Amino acid sequence: MAVTKSVLPGGSGRPPSLDNLLEVRDLHTHFHVMDGVVRAVDGVSFAIRPGQTLGVVGESGCGKSVTALTIMRLLDMPPARIGETSEIWFEGRDLLRLSEEEMRHVRGNDIAMIFQEPMTSLNPVFTVGDQIAEAVMQHHAVKRRAAMDKAIDSLKAVGINNPERRVMQYPHELSGGMRQRVMIAMALSCDPKLIIADEPTTALDVTIQAQILELIRTVQDDTGAALMLITHDLGVVAETVHDAIVMYSGRVVETGTVEEVLLAPKHPYTEGLLSSIPSKGKRGARLNVIKGTVPNPLNMPQGCNFAPRCPYRFDACGPHDPRIEDANPPDVACWLYTAAPGHGIPPRVRPRVESEATA
Amino acid sequence: MSDPIRTVDSFDTAAVMTDSVGLPEDEFVEVNLETLNQWQLAWRRFKRHKLAMVGAGVLIVMVAVAIFGTILWPYDPTDIKAISRPGGDPPTLSPIENLFGTDFGGRSVLQLVVVGARISVAVGFFTSLIATTIGILVGATAGYFGGRVDNMLMRFVDLMLAIPFLFVILVAARFFGGGDPVVLILIFGLLSWPGLARLVRALYLSLRESEFVQAARAVGVSDARITFRHILPNAMGPIVVSSTLILANAIVLEAFVSFLNFGIRATDVSWGNALANSKGTLLTGNWWWPFFPGMILAMTVIAVNFLGDGLRDALDPRSKET
Amino acid sequence: MSKYIIRRIIGLIPLLFGIILISFFLMKLAPGGPQAQFNQNPRVTEAQIDQWLKRWCLERESSPISVVREFSGWLGVYNCETESLLSEQGGLNFLPAALGGGTNGIIHGDLGLSIKAGRPVTDMIIERVPATLILTTTALIIWVTLAVILGVIAAVKRYSFFDQALTFFSYVFYSLPTFWLGLMFIYLFSVVLRIFPAQGILTPREWSHFNTPNFWIEFGERPLAAILDIGHHMVLPVTVLVLVSIAADSRFVRASMLETLNQDYVRTAKAKGLPKQRVYMKHAFRNAMLPVVTNVGLELPFLFSGAIVTETIFSWQGMGLLFITGVNDRDYFILMGLILVTSSLVVMFNLLADIAYAIVDPRIRYD
Repeated sequence: MAVTKSVLPGGSGRPPSLDNLLEVRDLHTHFHVMDGVVRAVDGVSFAIRPGQTLGVVGESGCGKSVTALTIMRLLDMPPARIGETSEIWFEGRDLLRLSEEEMRHVRGNDIAMIFQEPMTSLNPVFTVGDQIAEAVMQHHAVKRRAAMDKAIDSLKAVGINNPERRVMQYPHELSGGMRQRVMIAMALSCDPKLIIADEPTTALDVTIQAQILELIRTVQDDTGAALMLITHDLGVVAETVHDAIVMYSGRVVETGTVEEVLLAPKHPYTEGLLSSIPSKGKRGARLNVIKGTVPNPLNMPQGCNFAPRCPYRFDACGPHDPRIEDANPPDVACWLYTAAPGHGIPPRVRPRVESEATA
Repeated sequence: MSDPIRTVDSFDTAAVMTDSVGLPEDEFVEVNLETLNQWQLAWRRFKRHKLAMVGAGVLIVMVAVAIFGTILWPYDPTDIKAISRPGGDPPTLSPIENLFGTDFGGRSVLQLVVVGARISVAVGFFTSLIATTIGILVGATAGYFGGRVDNMLMRFVDLMLAIPFLFVILVAARFFGGGDPVVLILIFGLLSWPGLARLVRALYLSLRESEFVQAARAVGVSDARITFRHILPNAMGPIVVSSTLILANAIVLEAFVSFLNFGIRATDVSWGNALANSKGTLLTGNWWWPFFPGMILAMTVIAVNFLGDGLRDALDPRSKET
Repeated sequence: MSKYIIRRIIGLIPLLFGIILISFFLMKLAPGGPQAQFNQNPRVTEAQIDQWLKRWCLERESSPISVVREFSGWLGVYNCETESLLSEQGGLNFLPAALGGGTNGIIHGDLGLSIKAGRPVTDMIIERVPATLILTTTALIIWVTLAVILGVIAAVKRYSFFDQALTFFSYVFYSLPTFWLGLMFIYLFSVVLRIFPAQGILTPREWSHFNTPNFWIEFGERPLAAILDIGHHMVLPVTVLVLVSIAADSRFVRASMLETLNQDYVRTAKAKGLPKQRVYMKHAFRNAMLPVVTNVGLELPFLFSGAIVTETIFSWQGMGLLFITGVNDRDYFILMGLILVTSSLVVMFNLLADIAYAIVDPRIRYD
């Protein structure tokens, strides 16, 4: 490998597991702003195998989008800084230590990203076909005619009728749902190994949401690409991915398969998220909320980040900060499951039921 | 573990809080960062803009000179002084009045600058005041009510903007002005507002759809009150900046119009008519006569523009300039 | 697209009409009326004044009805000699003379007679147009090109020394009064350094006045020398105009470029793996230039205003200087004619700018 101008020096020196397509280790992304340092991503690690589908769940501000942008290295580095011990292994290379030139070959080609706002993510002055073909021409040495054909194929693959006609249209001539399909087509056009979808359906109507999710599922099945789906919507996660990680305040607090996380949540935050979903059975009862607000990223509490809002907290939670990597098994970051230094695991407290009416 | 999967059907945190084995709530109260209101934030941002602070300082000095200049150094147009060379005396350190030299009539250029500040600054300030008022009224009405009112008003604005401004100003100043500063201010003010009106209209068009406006309407607040009490404070940022630009422009405009002898009458002094007739002597080597008043004028205008830029950055919550 | 153009052109008609109306009323409102010029001249009799007024359908004292008549005469719809809507030939007056119409009024290109020079205003204006256009067009092309280049570089290299220097330079030059800058340049380069001439379009001893028949004969003999001489005289006024205008526009270009660089579709372009050059030049630049095109269109009236300033300072015999002379002499017809011509030019240029915008931005075409 040529001498590279990379983002940071160092690295742990430990090679990644060969099974993993993407392995994120101890990712720290901090933003240095006027008032201090915002630790948007504070020690996140996870892995994705080829063809695996992973959902990243959490509310706004928990760092999930920043994680994705860091993987793609799309952040402006002056305000953002990545921790020196962070590593992002992809197909045997540490993305954080590649040169910008090398990273460009990865973007769009090996890893493709779909963004949240289809309305503004497409350039209004170029045709849709132009924008897809551009990506193809950039990464594969093909002529314009061939690239356009590929664009038409991609549009067909995402279920757009009349792709020959659509390919000549401008973004403003398409509806929101169609634009998102175009974004997906663009992401697919270079046959990436990993697709990162950042809240792909949040800006769309509910009826279109279902279609787009279905599409993403199909596409992923057909191409065998791995999928990292970022969302705050648990319903989306349930239908589309196999595994999930839950993020809170820059950390991963729980991992597992989707069934485990949704049906048997361990972390109190996950539990809170699930219970705050209004459902048919709870008609008439008060909406449950998780009391309190997300901690101020400039001023994180000592100890467990969730403790101030946690109904199960006890005296270990204030002074000690649970990390998922230290847990055994490492699937939840909570002192209820792993003994904190100097403390035992408390007996599980069953929350008091508001009404004994059947659910 | 004998306990089955913990149910998630109910999760009454309030109840649980008091039951849990743990510490009282106060221990976990986060430290709140002190919150500043919108104006305090703006002031903080403004202070960091060094050039704007310099601009503000220079302006304060100019205003002081404008107010006190004529009082401390009264100007008498009939007081003719002798000159030692045709075209005016060059700058000297003594007498100190001749620091900026003299014009071809023997008048001290320094005095002209000091005394001229009053009319020049006043023209700038009051023009801006008049133009801003009219501009806000017209623009707010057009932007808020929309429809035919908007259409009519904007066609009129388009018409005014299509005609090159200076042409009309010169004609108006020459034929209706009579050299009177007050009339000149009126003329400038009545012709400078269209650009601002367009800006205000655009602001109102977008702000009109905001939730706080809908909320106010839902509660029954009158249109007039919404326009001025609710929307206007939110639009102040760009408006203030535009006003400073109008102010700066008006000062320069007065200077040019008076330079051509169409503006302020000769018995008064402004920076503009201090420069009048100076081109001829420039060609024979008298550089100080046009230079000094022009430079002071330029400095004032630069100061106003720095101030305007600082205000824009301070008042615009989206501004990312550091 | 053509529908868009046609609609825009139709929209211009009321605007042009409004401009004509305003010019007319400015003239009527002027103290003493258009005949005030003659007050200076004791040899002109009252009878002669009346005759002159009648020629233009003007009255000394106007009533609401007579104002309509005067305006129609000024416009060219009404014929002052026949005192009807019909021309001398018997056809409708507003038609071209070849079709049986009249010859008076704006519609027929008659902008009146210059009181001082005794020549038709239309001829005098046309004579002066090339001089002004040479100056302003050259300046416009130079400053827009430079402003775009500088502004884009400043945006791409934000906060760099170049950017900060450009910002500072912009603030200073934007604020400088153009006429004063011109005077200072004259002093420095003409009086002290003597490398550029201070006044005029051509060296007076060597050439006849610009755009006179004699000049064109001389031009035919030595075209290159003429161009060089004009160019030599153009340097100072163009530089003054360019400096002040770059200051304003480069900041605008920079702001527009920065705003565009923040857009989501730029992020998408980067996510596709496109090289930075392509992202900036292809994706960002084109979008960023849209507001710049509009802005230049909005600045066009100031182009003519600016021309007044530079032409006065540098004694450049163009439309601006003609205007100043007209103001001094209270030559109303020249003033009204110039206001009309420049306003119409502005309106026309704005139309061109709108069309250019529509070509570049596909969203507008389908309005």
